[in-house]
Amino acid sequence: MIILSTSDKGGTGRSVTSCNLAYRRALQGSDVAYLDFDFGSPTAGAILSVSGAERGTTSGAGLHHYLQDRVAEPEQIDVWSASEREGLRGRPMGAGRLVLVPGDQGGGEFPVGTEMVDRCIQLFLSMEAEFELVLVDLSAGRSQAADLILSATAARQLQAITVRWLVFHRWTRQHIIAASGLVFGERGLIEAGTERGHDRADLENSIRFVRTAVLDLSSPEMAGLRPPQAAWLQSCNRELQELATKTKLGRTTMLGSIPLDPVLQWREQLISDNDVVFSQIANPQTSQAYEDLAKRLVHDEAWMSL
Amino acid sequence: MTSGTSSVHRATTHRPDPGLVALGEVRTGLLQHSAAIPHQLAERILQLVPGERVRLSQRPIAHALSPELMAGVDCRLAAASGTHIDGTGTVLTRASITGGTVVQASARAVVGPARADHRLPWSHYMARPGMIETRGKIEVDDLAAGFIGQPTSSSALDLSALSRRMMDVIQGSSQLDHAPRMRTKRTRLRWTARTVTAEQPHGLVEFAIEDDVLRTLQLRTKIDRIAMVASLCENLALHDWLLSTLLELIEREQRGAPHAPQAVLRLRPAIDSLLHLWMPAAHIDESLHPVWEALERRAGFTRQWEQLRDRIRDQVTLSAVTLMSVVTEGSASE
Repeated sequence: MIILSTSDKGGTGRSVTSCNLAYRRALQGSDVAYLDFDFGSPTAGAILSVSGAERGTTSGAGLHHYLQDRVAEPEQIDVWSASEREGLRGRPMGAGRLVLVPGDQGGGEFPVGTEMVDRCIQLFLSMEAEFELVLVDLSAGRSQAADLILSATAARQLQAITVRWLVFHRWTRQHIIAASGLVFGERGLIEAGTERGHDRADLENSIRFVRTAVLDLSSPEMAGLRPPQAAWLQSCNRELQELATKTKLGRTTMLGSIPLDPVLQWREQLISDNDVVFSQIANPQTSQAYEDLAKRLVHDEAWMSL
Repeated sequence: MTSGTSSVHRATTHRPDPGLVALGEVRTGLLQHSAAIPHQLAERILQLVPGERVRLSQRPIAHALSPELMAGVDCRLAAASGTHIDGTGTVLTRASITGGTVVQASARAVVGPARADHRLPWSHYMARPGMIETRGKIEVDDLAAGFIGQPTSSSALDLSALSRRMMDVIQGSSQLDHAPRMRTKRTRLRWTARTVTAEQPHGLVEFAIEDDVLRTLQLRTKIDRIAMVASLCENLALHDWLLSTLLELIEREQRGAPHAPQAVLRLRPAIDSLLHLWMPAAHIDESLHPVWEALERRAGFTRQWEQLRDRIRDQVTLSAVTLMSVVTEGSASE
């Protein structure tokens, strides 16, 4: 299965959530590969604490160079053995493989030609042959990487593979409108995908939204609010829900919602159970949200036809 | 023998100096199809050159071998000492499907010194398929070590890229359904074989497992056998892949609830499609069998395989017994 993560705006927590999902899926026993297609700023190495690949790899064998046919093989980094974070070292019992395929440091965007689409198809075929879950993190907006992937996934050879999209957005007016535009807009993913040979209904049905940094109004932290503040937030939330429904981002197309967590506001990192149980720096709701979302990623019921 | 390998002989017999080294890389992976494919389909997929025959054999195991493709190269060769060595010539690539299930893609060339000190017309190189000629003196051990330790992103002769491309062509074939029954890694075997005189010791020098997917093999061979070494390396890579894959599948089976009788069902695809493929040294020239035997002594390939196979069979039996007793108890209490 290939999961493609994207967002319209930067700062939605797309990369950090995607890394956490990959980590959770691996803990749940799947072999997972994380492909850093955020060519402008590959950051997965930093989130997973892989030294030497914090802003993409310097080995010259990252995804950029692979797609441009400058290396035969993209580098694969085993996160369980390469991560510098104490809690991530060593594969836990029952966990699957967790592999980072990094971007190249100082890469940037590049023009996409037919040869590159072929390389991308080969990459997906070989990754799918090896890993149960291939998570691809794209840069924000309608990037060239997104076009490349829309072309590649329309190819005949990839039709037997399940491909799903996750669109991340924050729970604000601007973000909801932008995410809707990215998917349903005139130059949106569905339009661009249909042009490239995807079936419109199938493509639309393979896209789900993930809300990030959402304030939970019923949480204990909110108890200290003054009544007018609480009332204002409630009414805002209702308005946002109405807007989301109108722009096709309502409950039926939402796969999950990640609560606002102070840890993630300060540093993009994996939230391990250690962070919740022992050091208690992260909220249990956050790790629970990742855990649930990681399960829903592969749960066919959550992806039934709408 | 193909025209490629026979002309390697031609090119070398004139020269008394046996200072040649064969370099190669073999990639091995599971065919991306939901079942073992029949011979005819393997033949169609491997028909890489129109009009050239795919070689098929049924015994002792189904094996289909594509015609050889030739690629011209004019590039630097990796040397362990860092010496600048340029070579011009051709590389041979081919693919095979064993048991309708396992694909191999291989790229190789024999490197030796040129008699001329300047680049000759391409017709010269085209007439020597699979031969790369270097200008200036070479030290074959230096070249062999340089090739074995070559990093992935290197501008030197890249057999890895050629074998990968060949693998991608076969695996991307539209004749396949791309719905394999299990997930497996592709492995790479990078090998070298340097020639020695009849009096010098020959055979296995070293076999090493470098990481998850890369293995290296270094051999010494008499010059008249250099053309056959590629088949030996392909056969060895196939068995190394079978062993690695089985180990991986067993490891995966033990994740989650390892002792549940149902866990063994996860091994079903391996039982159906891999266990019968173990056939060491099939299709290998007898003169090279000692290399296999040396590997068996040191790495214990077959011993480990048999142990894994027996373990899987025991597990299947035990699970069957457990499931049966559940059924019997169920019916007794009714």
